[in-house]
Amino acid sequence: MEHVGAVLLGVPYTLLVTVVALAIGAALGLPLALARRSSLAALHLPARAVIDVLRGIPPVVWLFIIFFGVGNQFVPLDPLQAGCLGLGLISAGYLAEIYRSGLGAVHSGQWEASDALGLSRTDSMVRIVGPQAFRVALPAASTYAIGLLKDSSVVSAIGVADIVFRSTADSRATGAALAPFLVAAAIYILLGTPLAIASRRMDSRLRQRVAR
Amino acid sequence: MEIVREPQTQAGDGAVDLRTGAQPADRLEVSRKGAPVVRLEGLSKRYGDNVVLDGVDLEVSAGEVVAMVGPSGAGKSTLLRCINLLEVPDAGTVTVAGQCVDAGKEVSAKDAMRLRRTAGMVFQSFNLFPHLTVLRNVSLAQERVLGRSRAEADARSMELLERVHLAGKADTYPSRSSGGQQQRIAIARALAMDPQVMLFDEPTSALDPEVGLEVLAVMRELAESGMTMIVVTHEIPFARDVSDRVVVMADGGIIEEGDPHQVINHPQHERSQRFLRAVTER
Repeated sequence: MEHVGAVLLGVPYTLLVTVVALAIGAALGLPLALARRSSLAALHLPARAVIDVLRGIPPVVWLFIIFFGVGNQFVPLDPLQAGCLGLGLISAGYLAEIYRSGLGAVHSGQWEASDALGLSRTDSMVRIVGPQAFRVALPAASTYAIGLLKDSSVVSAIGVADIVFRSTADSRATGAALAPFLVAAAIYILLGTPLAIASRRMDSRLRQRVAR
Repeated sequence: MEIVREPQTQAGDGAVDLRTGAQPADRLEVSRKGAPVVRLEGLSKRYGDNVVLDGVDLEVSAGEVVAMVGPSGAGKSTLLRCINLLEVPDAGTVTVAGQCVDAGKEVSAKDAMRLRRTAGMVFQSFNLFPHLTVLRNVSLAQERVLGRSRAEADARSMELLERVHLAGKADTYPSRSSGGQQQRIAIARALAMDPQVMLFDEPTSALDPEVGLEVLAVMRELAESGMTMIVVTHEIPFARDVSDRVVVMADGGIIEEGDPHQVINHPQHERSQRFLRAVTER
């Protein structure tokens, strides 16, 4: 039991990094997805390149580049900032693709009906297509969020005191090789399960309305 | 393309500004004047090498019900979709309620929206918004496009839902309605914009024949109220009994048009004879 207290200290950091990275990703992913869907090559080609680069480099490499590279030489960043920023950017790449497939899944007749009624492009997106795309994208987005909760542990590599960082430290301090990590495992499951249940509930509730 | 608003010509005069919410009774009076509401001149559209419309001319007067029939691929749907710019024609002009669009010139999104407002569209696949209640489906564009208040829009929506006999469905989602009901809701949604012409793109083709009848009944009532309608359809009895004029299209052009009974019972053109025999003698 003595390990529990030590490992629990990491929970706020794990949650903070996950939530901030998701927020950054959700916000930056949207313009990226819209640019990716644009018919203008000047928009969709760069957007695709950005998405591929964000997703194509391992998260830990991104974090090192941002923390040691950018953080030491350009803008000073502490580990927490670098971790949030790095995972946020990577999330933007993944969420952009999730948004894009959501938008693509909305039947083209929905755009046509909006056009025929004289709705503006913005109204069509915000009120007609967007909400439907959101519902389609929700399961994939929540799967990504749950994944990120676990994979945010990569920030321990640059010294953010999250669950894994605390477990490692505790293991070193006490010499216990297994117990701190079992505690970490249990905490991750306890954190992730309610998220999974909530997303399943929301999904089935929204699905009832969209079913046609 | 460019939209030119012709002052005091065509349907421009006499046409009540329906956007302000003129009631059907007013519309009836306007319709009787019989000014052209839709005029297409030399309309052409091609996809690559495939010529879909080849210089089509068509004029539809206020209050007139025109049925367009013809084999698949004749260009009927494309013609209809050019009228509200869901398709942009390559050549020719489209005039709806005095607003003229000239193919080949740039048309701004705003002008396109203005023209679309005058034409209501009913699709083969209904295209209701599944995430909105039936009432919101009918009210949303009234608020966003016509600037009506929520109360005004909802009142008008309820009126129209009653007219298509579906007021009871107002607070449900479209998925709770049958295909025929959904299509009637779609008709109410289009009518809510107070269009000067209603365009129907095979409105019953996705429905089983029995359910299609309830949609046709609503369309018949609409025709009797004086609405100007262009109906692309394979429903020959509807074309014969309800429309004022039947237009037969084939290979991107109009090959025959005239009095419904005359055209359907005694088609002159060999191609229309072949097509009409195929749909009536099955």
